[in-house]
Amino acid sequence: MPTFSRRPLALGAAALLIGGSTIAAGCGGSSPSAAGTAKAATGAPQHGGNLIYLDAEIPISAQVQESGYWQDRAILQNVLDRLVYRNAQTHKIEPWIAQSWKISDGGKHYDFVIRKGVTYSDGQPLDAGSVKRNLEWQINGDKKNGVSPNPVFPRKATITADAATSTVSIDLPEPYAPLLGVLTTWSAGLVGDKTIGSSHDAQALFKNLVGSGPFTITTEDHAKKYVLSTRKDYKWAPESWKNQGASYVDSVTIIPVQEDAVRLGTLKSGQAQLLRYVQPSEEKALAAQGYDVVARSGVGLSNQWFIRQTAAPYLKDQRVRQALQIGIDRQQIVKDLYTPNWSAATSVLSPGTVGYKDESAKLAYDPDAAGKLLDEAGWTGRDGSGYRTKDGQRLDILTYIDVFDNTAPALYQAIQAQLKTIGVNLIVRQTDYSSYNAKAWGNPKVATLRTGWPDPDASIDLENQYGGAGTGALSYSGGDAFGLKNSDPKLNELLVKPLSAPTQEQEEQDLGAIQDYLIDKAYVIPIFNDSQVWVAGPKLHDFDLTDGGLPEYHNAWLSS
Amino acid sequence: MTRRQFVLRRSLQAVFVICLSYTLVFFALFALPGNPIYNKLHNPLNPLPKSAVKPLEHYYHLDDSPLQQFLVSIGRLFRGDLGFSLVSGNKVTDLIGHAIPKTVALAGASLAIALVLALGIALLAVFSPWRAVRNVVKLLPGLFLSVPSFVLGFLVLQVFSFDLGWFSAIESEGAKSYVLPAITLGIAVTGPIAQVLITGLTKAAREPFVTVLRAKGVPPMTITARHILKNGSIPSITLLALTVADLLAGAVVVETVFNLPGLGLVTQQAVRDQDTPVVMAVVVLVSAIYTIINLLTDLLYPVIDPRISVIGQKRPRRRPLSARRAVGA
Repeated sequence: MPTFSRRPLALGAAALLIGGSTIAAGCGGSSPSAAGTAKAATGAPQHGGNLIYLDAEIPISAQVQESGYWQDRAILQNVLDRLVYRNAQTHKIEPWIAQSWKISDGGKHYDFVIRKGVTYSDGQPLDAGSVKRNLEWQINGDKKNGVSPNPVFPRKATITADAATSTVSIDLPEPYAPLLGVLTTWSAGLVGDKTIGSSHDAQALFKNLVGSGPFTITTEDHAKKYVLSTRKDYKWAPESWKNQGASYVDSVTIIPVQEDAVRLGTLKSGQAQLLRYVQPSEEKALAAQGYDVVARSGVGLSNQWFIRQTAAPYLKDQRVRQALQIGIDRQQIVKDLYTPNWSAATSVLSPGTVGYKDESAKLAYDPDAAGKLLDEAGWTGRDGSGYRTKDGQRLDILTYIDVFDNTAPALYQAIQAQLKTIGVNLIVRQTDYSSYNAKAWGNPKVATLRTGWPDPDASIDLENQYGGAGTGALSYSGGDAFGLKNSDPKLNELLVKPLSAPTQEQEEQDLGAIQDYLIDKAYVIPIFNDSQVWVAGPKLHDFDLTDGGLPEYHNAWLSS
Repeated sequence: MTRRQFVLRRSLQAVFVICLSYTLVFFALFALPGNPIYNKLHNPLNPLPKSAVKPLEHYYHLDDSPLQQFLVSIGRLFRGDLGFSLVSGNKVTDLIGHAIPKTVALAGASLAIALVLALGIALLAVFSPWRAVRNVVKLLPGLFLSVPSFVLGFLVLQVFSFDLGWFSAIESEGAKSYVLPAITLGIAVTGPIAQVLITGLTKAAREPFVTVLRAKGVPPMTITARHILKNGSIPSITLLALTVADLLAGAVVVETVFNLPGLGLVTQQAVRDQDTPVVMAVVVLVSAIYTIINLLTDLLYPVIDPRISVIGQKRPRRRPLSARRAVGA
């Protein structure tokens, strides 16, 4: 995703202004890296050095179950190990703390054999007993300390540990297909007893996070600096990592710098080696100047608008919704506003996500067909501005620019201009961060809202976003994102199906059916596949991203 | 009224002002659209489940009525418990305590720079023997006022950090870290102080007592330093007091540009996120800063100019002319 920034516009404008001047002082030219991978190493990795990384946002909370903000995930990813690892290239799940596993009883029983010799940063052994305590903590939460259950874990499970065989077993009352994928995510990171036993507020501090990962947090200067120091005794990396020992760099210093121009100027002056997020307009120039622009379109939902049918009676007409779906030229938007590191959405899910199904043929831009659909729906009249009318009513679609993305205003304006060509009046309103939810989500007249960001498991995310019984954010507003008022039981049936699929193949089929349904019914308008964009300085090598676009510092090294 | 009574009375007024600010802001936050937990839940990156809402609301007393919440917060305030941030879960005292040293250092350094600059500009603008210099210098306050601090901040960063490499844009370098932000902020607040000082000095320089001093043969430097400056700086002291409070609470732009997370940044983020406990703590702090500085300013006036009485002391009555004549006065 571009960034989660709520900077004042004046600052943003100045940042662009000054940022332009910093770019002008460039160095030699080269082409950008392959997606998601930093430039290849030109020699043997060198040990040592402090990698200074500038993030666009201030870390919020280290509390594992609540650590959803991007900048929090990026830290947890490097401090906490997980039972299993998802290979970003092959998307296959590999052993990590669990050296092997077995799934039986139709997906209701899991056995994990825990690797021996692993320790947390405070010396506590990471054994079967510790894994059991972690899983119970994730599934049940901790009422005494104000810790909620992790919503991506199954709601009920029985965990047993056998110290003799170093095995942890999970027994589920019903299959939960996303479980293995969930266990790869940052929020399934294994923590020591000291973290589990502390209060919610103590857990929110990064310095209190005790993990077994390749880095430990040794300094937390809130909003100013977070230092991740290398564990010299680390030797339990996933098999696919090139570096099987301790991380090459001595430390990673994460510094939140909210101003784009300051981040860029600092990198270009050599004071830092890595930053997250530049304006799409700057990516090409940076690549030309020899910087490594590393990007990955994260797995999960594509960036999309969903249509609330209760906002206007005509939105219940499938033809109107379909006209909106094919009346947007996604390719043109990506070409005009973004870079080759971004791509037009081809489905409800992003390519690479488990269960992704290419629906691009149904989403192809066709203004003539869109116009015909609107004609068929009775929107044949035109007002003085060229907008379609029916029985004296204009075809208005109200939306609000979302506050989570710096590129959103231009994106909304582009869509507004495209929809105007088919006679649809997209009314675009803007508000600030604090009142966005009240004014946009809370206003029943708002017809389309933007959602869909990278997330590790599509089954959970789709159900959270659009399911009536969802556990996630959107269901808080009633679990009826499309305004269907229980008129489409098939949708809920489809959405819960992949969650209990007994095999991954079945889960993929079920996800395919959901994508077909959401597109065919035109409940959703996919826009583009969201990307995380990083810029690495010339001294940084082998910097990797996960399949969700999170940084992995373990293999990275600095040349002298 | 004695000085002690005056201080006591003003302290009570200060407490009243703080209480009033706290109450007004507390209820104003309820009138705003949005809800911090709702915002948190609707953030696309937030994994909080619906089931976590109730415990969270209960934990922060958000399920109570506004009045009950107000009473709870007042009770906590008197116990010195400012609560926890609704966004990060950090202790509010930690967040504020962490930010204050940076803010105080930045404000102090900025104020020192502003004072030196404003004084230099005002003295040159009023007393320079060259008309051209006076005219040019008089333009500076307006120029300083018209350059936004974020533009100036980016420019000094570009030159002194990115190009020359004299300062780090991101790392803590002790006192050195405050040089560029203090210059930026200092220049931003120099304009109004210099303007008021120029006016005050110009007026004071035309007072009859200056003519008398000159006639008595007092050296010009002494007249300027001991008499004109003292008399002409009274209006700028009021402005200076307000500037100090602004520097302590409102340096958010400079803090952001120079990566100095002080009180301004904490305030800005708390307001953006409707992080009520943090906002309320900042309100108490800023109200206290304003009232204390106002009190100190009021007490400073009579020290600078004994003709000014803020404590309502009765001036000794002038004796009738006839009485003075009688004693040969």
